[in-house]
Amino acid sequence: MMARVLSRLAPLLACLGLLAIWQAGSLMLNTESFPTAIEAVRAVPSILGDRESVINILDSLRRMAIAFAAALLFAIPLGLMMGRSRLVASFFNPLLMITYPVPKAALMPIIMLWLGVGDLAKMLVIFLGVSLPVIYHSFQGAKAVEEKMLWSGAAMGLSAPQRMIRIVLPAALPEILTGCRTGLVLALITMVTSEMIARQSGAGNILFNALDMGQYDTVYAMIIIIGAMGIGLDAAFEKLRSRLVRWSEPGFDIPLSFA
Amino acid sequence: MIEIDHVSQIFRTSGRQAHLALSDISLTIEDGAFVSILGPSGCGKSTLLYIVGGFVSPTEGVARVKGRAITGPGPDRGPVFQEFALFPWKTVLGNVMYGPRQQGVKAAEADAQSRRLIEMVGLKGFENFYPKELSGGMKQRVALARTLAYHPAVLLMDEPFGALDAHTRTRLQNDLLNIWERDRKTVLFVTHSVDEAVFLSDKVVVMTRAPGRIKQIVDIELPRPRRRAELLLDPRYQKYVVEIERMIDDTSEDGLRP
Repeated sequence: MMARVLSRLAPLLACLGLLAIWQAGSLMLNTESFPTAIEAVRAVPSILGDRESVINILDSLRRMAIAFAAALLFAIPLGLMMGRSRLVASFFNPLLMITYPVPKAALMPIIMLWLGVGDLAKMLVIFLGVSLPVIYHSFQGAKAVEEKMLWSGAAMGLSAPQRMIRIVLPAALPEILTGCRTGLVLALITMVTSEMIARQSGAGNILFNALDMGQYDTVYAMIIIIGAMGIGLDAAFEKLRSRLVRWSEPGFDIPLSFA
Repeated sequence: MIEIDHVSQIFRTSGRQAHLALSDISLTIEDGAFVSILGPSGCGKSTLLYIVGGFVSPTEGVARVKGRAITGPGPDRGPVFQEFALFPWKTVLGNVMYGPRQQGVKAAEADAQSRRLIEMVGLKGFENFYPKELSGGMKQRVALARTLAYHPAVLLMDEPFGALDAHTRTRLQNDLLNIWERDRKTVLFVTHSVDEAVFLSDKVVVMTRAPGRIKQIVDIELPRPRRRAELLLDPRYQKYVVEIERMIDDTSEDGLRP
């Protein structure tokens, strides 16, 4: 009972611990550019109470959601096809290997030259950031699908496209969702960095404007807000994921002793 | 009727080496017969089964079912694999219903049929379990029910009990015979166990070590229905087992010679 309460409270305790270290560190350093945790937390409501800031943050989230969804629609089918066709894989794999290590935000200035500083450029950067891990994991997931499962489907009369959608996709789903989870975190990171480079609106814009003006409590408050968004999105995604792939969860697999 | 007509299979291994897996196999399997293909591992016996299934196309020769050349898999030939190959995201019921639903059987009807089949293979009460929650023997029961559900004329069984412990294996052999004796489907059964082949089959096809050739076909003239306890004491059964084991020993030695 005690252990269960403790494990429930653990994430909260971890956050409080981090804030305490922050508080102590900032008091020790005592410089203006590193406000205490209490000062930063106090600045959070003033940001969330400001209409302009909320609109900016929602704008960021809107761009992120659209780019994330578009990336999944592109990356999952591509990854699955790569996993099942040697031809498709040998064509796209080198492209993937070249683009994977490039920091997507580094492409931002070039993309801005083509698409301007508006939504499209930012969404493209997020799209690229999300696509790569999702392609990679979908590829791995599809490659690992047992051949005999596909044969069983073929014997039941499933055509090749049907096998792709009704066998490869569900069989690879746990791996695909692992890629999506990485993609979600990357979406948040590229969202902020894209707004840092193309300063026009958004959560990243609030952060870096505050930094320019030396409003350090706002800077750190924004970091807290972005961090909280990350935790919230990840927790929501994890909930969805565990519902979708309940059948593959470990701890589920205590086989019954029966012939 | 299944006809395997001068079938050879060559696999290209890495390093451009050609590996002759099957060499000039000809075999006819009558409707309703239970035929085992028996041989040492690596003799291409599973490959022969995959060719009949349409999962692998032969390098030379042709396989026919009901007089028509096999060009791909189809619901007239239902496989059961050693690896079970169940759909892990589907429950037991979902797996068994999959084939009938694909064939256009109405949901309510497929549901009722599948529940009957699940009961027949001894898994009543496990309809809503996921494969991960089941033991190996139970998984193979589900796999058998899943294949029977779409009424294939031919069952293709690829060492189906090879991954199971001895006790489970015996129980599944008995249950398979009971089920088979009810509707007498054609069964092509790949195994490396002599006991299993003799106990189950009308005909045992003994193969040589790679390249796989047919060494001899043994007709098993034992009465049916077969009871394991009676059979083990039957001198005719023992004679078949010893005779076939000797053949296999010979083929193994052939393989060892340079």
